[in-house]
Amino acid sequence: MKATVTHPRKFRATGSALPAAVPELPRRMTARTRSLGAALLGALVGPVLAAFLGGAMAQTTITFWPSSNPEEIQFATQIVSQWNGAHPELQIKMQPLPASRSTEEVLLAAIAARTTPDVAANIYPGAISQFVEAGGLYQHESLPGFMEFMTERSGEDVVALYTHPSGHVYQIPWKANPVMFAYNVKLLAEAGIEPGDLATYTGFLEAAKKVEDHWGGEKHLYTPTVDVTWWQRFFDFYGLYIAASQGQTLLDEDGAVVFDNDAGREVFEFLATFFREGYAPKGQTAQNRFFQGTTLVEQAGPFTMPFYENNAPEGFEFGLIPVPVPDRLAGQPVYTYGDPKNIAIFTTSKHPEEAWEFIEFILSPENDALFMSITGQVPYRLGMTTDPLFTPILAEKPNLTAFLDQTARTRGVDDTPYLIEIFTAISREYEAGVIQGVREPAVALRRAAQQAKDIISGFF
Amino acid sequence: MSLPTSSYALQRRLKSWPLAFRRLLFYALLLLGALTFLMPFLYMVSTSLKGVREMHTMNLIPREPTLDHFKAVFTQIPIGRAMLNSFFVYGLQTASVLVFSSIVGYALARLKFFGREFIFNIILLTMMIPGQLLLIPLYILIVQFGWADSYQALIVPGMVSAFGIFLFRQNFKTIPQELIDAAHVDGATELQILFRIVWPLSLPSLITVGIFTFMGGWNDFLWPSIVNRELGVQTLTQMVTLYGIGGQAGGQTGAVMASSLLAVVPMVIVYLVFQRYYLEGIASTGVKG
Amino acid sequence: MTGIGRGRGARGAAGGGPDQRQLAAAQRDTGRSNPVGYLFTLPYLVFFAVFTAYPLGFAIYLTFHNWNIVRPDRPFVGLRNFERLFSDELFWRALYNTVIFLAVHIPLQIAVALLLAVVLNQRIVARGFFRVSFFLPYVTSGAIISLIWLRLYADDGLLNQVLVQLGLGKVGWLSDPRVAMPSIAIMATWKNVGYYLMIFLASLQAIPAQLYEEAHLNGATQWQRFRYITFPLLNPAFILVVVLSTIGGFSLFVEPFVMTAGGPLDSTLSLVLYLYQQAFQFLRMGYAAAIGLVLAVLIFLVTFVQRRYLEKEVGY
Repeated sequence: MKATVTHPRKFRATGSALPAAVPELPRRMTARTRSLGAALLGALVGPVLAAFLGGAMAQTTITFWPSSNPEEIQFATQIVSQWNGAHPELQIKMQPLPASRSTEEVLLAAIAARTTPDVAANIYPGAISQFVEAGGLYQHESLPGFMEFMTERSGEDVVALYTHPSGHVYQIPWKANPVMFAYNVKLLAEAGIEPGDLATYTGFLEAAKKVEDHWGGEKHLYTPTVDVTWWQRFFDFYGLYIAASQGQTLLDEDGAVVFDNDAGREVFEFLATFFREGYAPKGQTAQNRFFQGTTLVEQAGPFTMPFYENNAPEGFEFGLIPVPVPDRLAGQPVYTYGDPKNIAIFTTSKHPEEAWEFIEFILSPENDALFMSITGQVPYRLGMTTDPLFTPILAEKPNLTAFLDQTARTRGVDDTPYLIEIFTAISREYEAGVIQGVREPAVALRRAAQQAKDIISGFF
Repeated sequence: MSLPTSSYALQRRLKSWPLAFRRLLFYALLLLGALTFLMPFLYMVSTSLKGVREMHTMNLIPREPTLDHFKAVFTQIPIGRAMLNSFFVYGLQTASVLVFSSIVGYALARLKFFGREFIFNIILLTMMIPGQLLLIPLYILIVQFGWADSYQALIVPGMVSAFGIFLFRQNFKTIPQELIDAAHVDGATELQILFRIVWPLSLPSLITVGIFTFMGGWNDFLWPSIVNRELGVQTLTQMVTLYGIGGQAGGQTGAVMASSLLAVVPMVIVYLVFQRYYLEGIASTGVKG
Repeated sequence: MTGIGRGRGARGAAGGGPDQRQLAAAQRDTGRSNPVGYLFTLPYLVFFAVFTAYPLGFAIYLTFHNWNIVRPDRPFVGLRNFERLFSDELFWRALYNTVIFLAVHIPLQIAVALLLAVVLNQRIVARGFFRVSFFLPYVTSGAIISLIWLRLYADDGLLNQVLVQLGLGKVGWLSDPRVAMPSIAIMATWKNVGYYLMIFLASLQAIPAQLYEEAHLNGATQWQRFRYITFPLLNPAFILVVVLSTIGGFSLFVEPFVMTAGGPLDSTLSLVLYLYQQAFQFLRMGYAAAIGLVLAVLIFLVTFVQRRYLEKEVGY
């Protein structure tokens, strides 16, 4: 039911979103065909196929998979054409990440089939451990000048954050998308709600009731997604959970399951209230409720900003607030999910050093600035608020400043190869306990935690 | 006309009505039935031509028809390439099935050799193996061959069809022995006999196997989506489906329906041209059962 | 078997000569082995070995191992894949969902296909048009059909719009866990009716007209003629339809994959979708192979029992 996701929730686990002008089409199979397969093929099909397939593998080319959303395609197209113009000996071939239900599934299958590109951008760190387990990712720290470059750009702690327990660096920190809530300025005022009222759960739920009463159920304050794709549901939970737990992820430092805690219960209970009280419909619509004005508040990230700019109806005004927290945390600084996305070289690459050269180019100050101005997202770069390359962009996009402020208090995801399975388990119980209400929210959460423990303690 | 589910009493009552009226009622119901089957297609065509503004109206004929959705599809995904891929891959596969299956079918029907019945039984047995059982190992095999993201991955596992062999064997058995003996006297090899004498006499079964092979491939989503991910080797059905669910269409119902239409039309044309062979193919499955 | 055959029939039919007719006749009569037969079946045998026999063996091998396809090690785990499978809530759920699907799909399929076949077997105006209408969904890809019906079934989709216009309430076609699987079963029936209708039609046309004439002379009503002539003679067709729809039901994948991703509340999770998730989301190849094997055995058993039962029940 992708049709119902009327704006690309790109800060979610998957990266696939709007259109993409798709560049030239690769022909790599001739080179990869192993001897056994080739012999069999030759015997069975003969020269006809060979003639048709006869593509060339002439020069050094680096395959690059960027995300398939329009802004990132635009950015990738620009830097690739710039690079290719300047480096005739090392050409970049770009293809947006092939879409499916989730990009992690696509990359995982590509690792299994050894058809990964040299470089992919927009990789979700939650999937990294699984990719490492599968032997798909390159150990970047051995690249010439890697550590120096990354420390200078992103700072020691960010680099440390993305260093695998084994000491290898399997991912290159690229950008963040801190999650906040966007609200409809006019309608909120019409219902007599102050944005500040939405800071805590009690205030938020009172406001939700107010909206129902004011418009007789025609409009809702907030409508958590009921999309069929599991990660859509999961991230409604996760942003709120990080805020409620003040930055505690699902597992503790020792890898033990801890999300069956007060924070988890509060979030499940909070979200369940919307469906139980009828503040949010269980059915899906084909329209974007936020733009239609039938939903007054929704989750937003830097990523959603270009979408708002391009698609919001005329006269639509929105503002940004931190995600709501349980009452006990009122007045304290709010943490949120940072939704980081990274870059990596794959072990299938025959030219990792050349690939790294290209990545250094992507991560150069100029291109970070270009990226920020095209996509409105936040690169993992130190000192942007004072850097003259970035200050004009920040002045032009005031919303970005709000996100930059929030970036200081973000959390990512845990480092476990079972993360996606754990997410799926939570998402499943979330559907049962929160959306459909077939069990108590707290029971559902406990079941999810038990499943997570089972998953971690071993498949059997 | 007989309405098998109606009760006896109802039939009596209906019988007392004037014939003309009964006919009218019958055709009205039948037309309603036909519309039930056509409606989703009409909806697809209509939606693919509707502008964004009337997207959520119920009218079937767009007031301001537009080709914008088709333009969007062609700029967003290489759908032309996908269509060529589908024609190439499944055309080749169909040709291969016809050639190889008929050769085997011919051997099983017309040549005597030790173990023939054994081989035939193997073929009957393979027809009973559910495809799901082989899905994972076949995928792994394709990976081991290094065929992921390639045409071979799509073509080769379907190059011979047990169903085709079975059907050809049954058909070739009915060809008079005199014709074959006469060809032998003229010095024809078995291959020559197969292609010059048996084939022309078996056109209906060739066409039947051909269209079912082609259709089965064309409409498949699961296998291509497992083995191939690169855009350049995606099939039409695969690309359109991924476009529809993968979010690339960004919820543009019109564009999704436009791309769906493009994927459906070739099969509908094939069907309209070869209609009677579909009936034959299905009827012969019936014989099998 | 090839070893024994090879020595004999060394004089193949391939070479031309005046004694060919005799040779051919002799071969027919004495059953001598023709080596061309092996040559002609060789492509199939190679194909069978590589793409059927080997995968089959490997599938069974995999069910006893734990393998994520990329790692070199494939630890032997004995029967633990099966142990886990039989205690796996989701596996049972998927099986239950399949039963729900079949319970809606098979009766509906038979009723609609038989009715339409009987109608199309009459002399009616514009028969060609009606046949094309009923058959069109069958030649269309299930994936594309799902994309279309996803929109028809949406909460604000065409079907609910019509219901609202008629003054009826909306139905959560795909969002209500109790309704979602029946919704998919209805769509699958709509898609496949053309195929089953043709099976019934072919069987109807094979019934000799004189049977009806005799019955008519003996004063049998139209219903009696249907009940006592048509119905029993359609027995093989019934079996075929039930068996094929059952296999179809167990193979259900693309519809829930496209429309619901198995939800809501796992109510449309099918066995093949579950297999797909285990294999391609979590790379549990051994476990997925175990699901595949159990699925294959189930299909085999169920269709076997159906065949037995139906033949006894309706057979004359």
